[in-house]
Amino acid sequence: MNTTAKKAFTFSDYWDRYSTITILAIMIIVFGILRPTSFLTGGNLIKIMEQSSITILLGLGEFFAILLGGIDLSVSSTMALSGALTAQLMVNLGLHPILAILIGVILFGAFIGFLNGSLVTATGLPPFIITLGTQAILRSLVYIITSARAVSGLPASFSKTMGGKLFDVIPVPILVALITAAVLTFLTVKCQCGRNLYALGGNSQSAWYAGITVKKHTILAFSISGICAALAGMVNIARLAAAEPNAGTGYETFAIEAVIIGGASFFGGVGKIPKVIIGGLIIGVINNGLNMVGVSSYYQQLAMGCLLILAVTLDRFFGASSKN
Amino acid sequence: MEPIIQMKEITKRFPGVVALNRISFDVRPGEVHVLLGENGAGKSTLMKVLSGAYRPDEGTICLGGKEYSQLTPHLSAEGGISIIYQELSVVNWLDIRENIFMGRLPMKQIGPIRVVDYGEMNTRTTELLKKVNLSSRKPTTSVGDLSISEKQMVEIAKSVAFNAKVIVMDEPTSSLTEEEVQKLFVIIRQLKEEGKGVVFISHKLSEIFEIGDRITIMKDGGYVGTYQVADLTTDDMIRLMVGREIKGTYQHPPEDNFEFGNVIFECKNLTRKDGKAKDVSFSLRRGEILGFSGLVGAGRSETMCAIYGAAPKSSGEIWLHGKQLSIKNPYQALRQGIGLVTENRRETGFFQNFSNKRNISIASQLKKSGCEGLIGLVNGAEEQQIAEKERTEIQIKCASLEQLTAQLSGGNQQKVILGKWMAAGVQLLIFDEPTKGIDVGTKSEIYKLMRGLADEGIGVIVVSSEMPELLGLCDRIAVMAGGRITGMYDVADATEEKLAKAATGESA
Repeated sequence: MNTTAKKAFTFSDYWDRYSTITILAIMIIVFGILRPTSFLTGGNLIKIMEQSSITILLGLGEFFAILLGGIDLSVSSTMALSGALTAQLMVNLGLHPILAILIGVILFGAFIGFLNGSLVTATGLPPFIITLGTQAILRSLVYIITSARAVSGLPASFSKTMGGKLFDVIPVPILVALITAAVLTFLTVKCQCGRNLYALGGNSQSAWYAGITVKKHTILAFSISGICAALAGMVNIARLAAAEPNAGTGYETFAIEAVIIGGASFFGGVGKIPKVIIGGLIIGVINNGLNMVGVSSYYQQLAMGCLLILAVTLDRFFGASSKN
Repeated sequence: MEPIIQMKEITKRFPGVVALNRISFDVRPGEVHVLLGENGAGKSTLMKVLSGAYRPDEGTICLGGKEYSQLTPHLSAEGGISIIYQELSVVNWLDIRENIFMGRLPMKQIGPIRVVDYGEMNTRTTELLKKVNLSSRKPTTSVGDLSISEKQMVEIAKSVAFNAKVIVMDEPTSSLTEEEVQKLFVIIRQLKEEGKGVVFISHKLSEIFEIGDRITIMKDGGYVGTYQVADLTTDDMIRLMVGREIKGTYQHPPEDNFEFGNVIFECKNLTRKDGKAKDVSFSLRRGEILGFSGLVGAGRSETMCAIYGAAPKSSGEIWLHGKQLSIKNPYQALRQGIGLVTENRRETGFFQNFSNKRNISIASQLKKSGCEGLIGLVNGAEEQQIAEKERTEIQIKCASLEQLTAQLSGGNQQKVILGKWMAAGVQLLIFDEPTKGIDVGTKSEIYKLMRGLADEGIGVIVVSSEMPELLGLCDRIAVMAGGRITGMYDVADATEEKLAKAATGESA
């Protein structure tokens, strides 16, 4: 039994630990070789990170839904709704941007997530169905409250800060994503509730018998997802200096891809927050890189799809799940 | 009379155990042959050999005038053997006729194509339903709308439709009302008259006397004998079914003059919302191990789940160390010092995605945290320390604390779970089938650990279907039947006969 501890470091062990970062590195190297002067510049790399920040934020929230073995399809609509509402708070009510952001994230984002979680626990239906429903409902609400028109005329201070750059170098959206990721890493690694969420995702029956309150923790997970989606909404309206009613349509797919490419198990209980960031960056690199190489955008989805299936297949054969 | 089926000296071995040891069993036309034995006596294994699911290691089976060394499911069905399992195998979303003719739909030719002949199906189903006294139901009724008793009748109709010669009923009465049982018996008598053989498996002795002709008794996979039911008394049956040597005891020997302390735990008039436990009262003294005996489904695990807060109760009081507890969910049980080692380790005991360290520390860390586990930090150093301590104290054999618990042997997984509760500082620990699927050596280690807990003043309750385990470990044994406590014995007075009798609900 003790031999397992001394076993030689195999490719399987390597893949288990470094699969996501390896994929990212390979892609950067490939695009770097193909377009050394345009792709591999500091400016472009920062641009990729900025472009990825919304995917990463949505992915960070999505991570918690997937950690429980569920899914949150409503993140894209949550992002649009909280963005539109916050924009209206600032434009129509003249609220101070900071206050508007706080209300947007905490009241709207967390509340929508809370609602998702409560619906899932109260009905016992799969999160897929509940959030498919709320995705449609929330999107409809966006159209209703904006009359399907973009909310523009956001305070300049808001778009400059949230959509601008710190010290003229680091884009604020990246900072928002990284700070959120840091907080959530702390939550998953150091907080008891994070530990409980992994337990719940691993085996909800065992979790219930171990004394973990299943309903409260499920609601917590979806609330976090809502908060992250709302943050993505803030970043989005700041970057565009307007709240588009169809903002983020279809982005839930990117969020799910980021989490899955980041090595989280679709069955729950397995995954790490930092890998979601890498997963999100991989999506950003593909889109940016293919553009640089001059591949038509028609092919970008194709590349994404192939990569997703390939990454999960490799995990299946070499990752931790292959040993059980 | 020539038997329809004859099984001779069947032996079936599984790794480490002999599940069937030279069992002989035959069924004659027009008789009800009862198969009696405790949980784990080998009845189900024998029936699986009969259905062709298991291949016997030795022995022969005569069916339809031919001798076989093993049956296949196909041969078994062709030979007219039909088994109705306790968990009925009807498909709820299909209607009655589709259930009856599943896989053998009557077909008719329309021009070049063959289609399902619904007319034929309806006529034949109506006939069959009349036969099993279910004429009140239409052939097109969805099976999901039927009661359990009616579903059973549909299964019997299915057996009849396929010309079954032997119909095996595995505990058919376990979830029926008295009235439904009588209806079933009417059908069984009818089947007898038609010359079919019925194998009837039941723990309810009164039913055996009512319906049985011959009886074969099994014990620990061995063959006790085949008798005429009329020649036996209740006591004979119980004596033949149990009565074996008890290997090793873990009680304090009498010369120790060990004295139990005050009452530390009390359960008063506990009734579950779903009625699976009714008016259950018992108490536990310091230093004592209390066992719960009874048949599967008697309400033992159900009672423990209600105490632990994992299932809702409608009334009853829980007292621990003189304080009345209010427990609405397992979290509150954990906070107030009650732990439950569940019956199914894999499904409800530990986390497959967690290391040994995390599985051991989860309960103690959760107990410390606030707001139902939502607030609080994980203390990594303390976690390590707790896990190390339990690992050495209860000798968990694992490669490392970082190893996944799922990779350990069953016994060591159970030790991890035990360590989890010990680290959480429980005052009362309930064990549900604590040694299920655990090897003999580890079993005795776990018994010693349990006795050690009791000696430390922690309340220990054990639910077990293995009577020797209860007799060898417990100081007192409660017996449950039908959700109620039907007997309470000091171990000195308890015998397997008494326990078995109380478990069948014969007398208290």
